[in-house]
Amino acid sequence: MADFIIAHLYPELMNLYGDRGNIICLQKRLEWYGHDCYIEAIPRGSKIQFNQYDLIFMGGGADREQKLVVNELIHQSSELKLEIEQGLPALFICGAYQLLGKYYESSDGMQIPGLNVFDFYTRKEKNRLIGNIVIAASLRGQPFTVAGFENHSGRTYFENEELRALGKVISGFGNNGQDGQEGLWYKNLIATYMHGPLLPKNPILADFLIETMMNRKGLIFKGGLDDHIENYSHEQTKKRILG
Amino acid sequence: MKKIALIIAIMAGKFASCLSRILGTGGTSIPGKIALRLYPHILSDLAANISEEIFIVTGTNGKTTTTNMLAEILKEKGYKFVHNSAGANMITGITTAFIKETDWTGKRKIDYALLETDEANVPLLLQQLHPRVVLITNFFSDQLDRYGELNNTINLIKDAVRDTDIELVLNADDPLVTHFKNETGLHCWYYGFEATNYDKLQGEASREGRYCVFCGQELLYQRFHYAQLGKFCCSECGNQNPESNFTAHSLILTPKIEMKINDIEIRSPYQGFYNAYNILAAVSLAKLVGIEDEIIQKAIANYEPRAGRMEQFEIDKRKVTLILVKNPTGLNQALATINTEPTPKAIFFALNDNVADGRDISWIWDADIEQITALDSNIEAIVCSGLRSGDIALRFKYADAQVDRIYIEDELQSGINKALSVAADATYILSTYTALFVCRDILLKLQQESITSADLIDQKQKSSESQG
Ligand SMILES: [Zn+2]
Repeated sequence: MADFIIAHLYPELMNLYGDRGNIICLQKRLEWYGHDCYIEAIPRGSKIQFNQYDLIFMGGGADREQKLVVNELIHQSSELKLEIEQGLPALFICGAYQLLGKYYESSDGMQIPGLNVFDFYTRKEKNRLIGNIVIAASLRGQPFTVAGFENHSGRTYFENEELRALGKVISGFGNNGQDGQEGLWYKNLIATYMHGPLLPKNPILADFLIETMMNRKGLIFKGGLDDHIENYSHEQTKKRILG
Repeated sequence: MKKIALIIAIMAGKFASCLSRILGTGGTSIPGKIALRLYPHILSDLAANISEEIFIVTGTNGKTTTTNMLAEILKEKGYKFVHNSAGANMITGITTAFIKETDWTGKRKIDYALLETDEANVPLLLQQLHPRVVLITNFFSDQLDRYGELNNTINLIKDAVRDTDIELVLNADDPLVTHFKNETGLHCWYYGFEATNYDKLQGEASREGRYCVFCGQELLYQRFHYAQLGKFCCSECGNQNPESNFTAHSLILTPKIEMKINDIEIRSPYQGFYNAYNILAAVSLAKLVGIEDEIIQKAIANYEPRAGRMEQFEIDKRKVTLILVKNPTGLNQALATINTEPTPKAIFFALNDNVADGRDISWIWDADIEQITALDSNIEAIVCSGLRSGDIALRFKYADAQVDRIYIEDELQSGINKALSVAADATYILSTYTALFVCRDILLKLQQESITSADLIDQKQKSSESQG
């Protein structure tokens, strides 16, 4: 059996803009750290035992796909919430991020219920927020930047002041293009509009997820990969945006 | 009055055309833009001079090569036609093409118009032109960045052709294309491939059109030609490939494409399955026009690859191939072709993210780069270049390419020099759109220099022989 198992939720529905790059990144880095990692694709119609997995991942999808996913997962949302509360590492990108909230309001005012794991909602607007994005984040008091690309028509608004964003927008739009916040970071869950994909050129985030995965198994994370290409790509993207 | 406005618009367009030829910029869209501003009906007025038919070619991949091949066939037959050039496939570019072919009075008769256009541009174009045929090559998601989601684009085209007497020519192997008949009721012609030796039983994980458009059931495939193109059926509602009117069989891809389309034998200097589809599409349209087999065969056989479409160079005895890449499917096809090369090779990849490339470069992660980094694939160097050299380098790294063979050279010239400096017999220059012509110029210059220096050596040898 593999050392680690990542659940890739509904890859056939939720997989836009190179999202699978995030999974490839986690799997390869784990491999380079000396652990094998199995990716289990979770198809529609499965009953998911969240606690069997070391990390769950879901990518972006169009409106139709999002609705299908909510219908799938709505019966399991309390189990999902419980596992997230207990520290299950998770990465939710774009459309997957949106459906963790209370509801999603389409441009004609229709409300599509979400999984209600967190107190936020998303409203769709006509013009899409598209472009490169850089945000400032911090981990254990250490500041770092995250770079990527966003492409979303939904604007996400937090309704609970205790919710913490993944970071502050330096350049780009973020959650709603107004409040300067991007994404959501709750315990070991990261949810974000940033694809690009996110993890390969943001190795700090990739290693954060890997470290938590290892710690939960009682393993010690030592780090130490040669990230010169990762860092080059990160800096190049940043320079491309910030000039 | 109307007539005067038309003439003024044509004159302005032609003048702008001359001017841009002199200045060397903006020749493909600005003349049309100016003329449209002066006389908004110019396109439909000029289109009235087409005595035979108008053909529109759209779809994600292959429209340029398909229209170019068809143009070659029409030329071989001796027809006069309007043909917009690659990259000039919006209304302004198409108007420019019409202005170029007309005379000052806007009355010259032309046999055909052969227009390639972006998917999202079809509705607008159909408001102004009345084509006999719209040919749809395939649908992939490279326009996502620019137009929102693929389904929207498909629906826009459907709405635009519904309730017209347009005939559709459709790729019978693409489930995202075949359903146009059911939902528009138009007369449809189909082209497709029989089983080939290059088919796969398994599809790519990230392919489009996985689900039946009618009922949402996952489609079952007997075989895949490439991406979602193949022999499919739906167990729920019976949706399946329609019967083809133009069927390609006996396909050979290497070293060059050979196949039969119905009973016409076709040979082409092109490579790659996607180009076999382009040939099939062009030949299907040519048959609908009623062109003789011999003329089609001759035109296809003589039609050499264009800039960046497997264009060959020879530099210091090396085979160098320039390939335009712009989306996962195209890149997968390019890599599959590279994989058939048995000798040691070097790869150069220029990744830009300007608007014309698509600002979102995440598509490189949807491509199956892993197919080329398998241990025995003989890759001596991977040189990563362009504005997003880091991203493509990372993609190769996470596809398990050997890290010590990945080089980052942002600058195109030094990157190409690097790729040509490693010991390899074949070099592949992959590039996105906005770096393509710069790369091409560099290669042409290097090729010229290597010919000149070879000549010099030749001459020296000859003169020393004659002296000795
Ligand atoms: Zn069906």
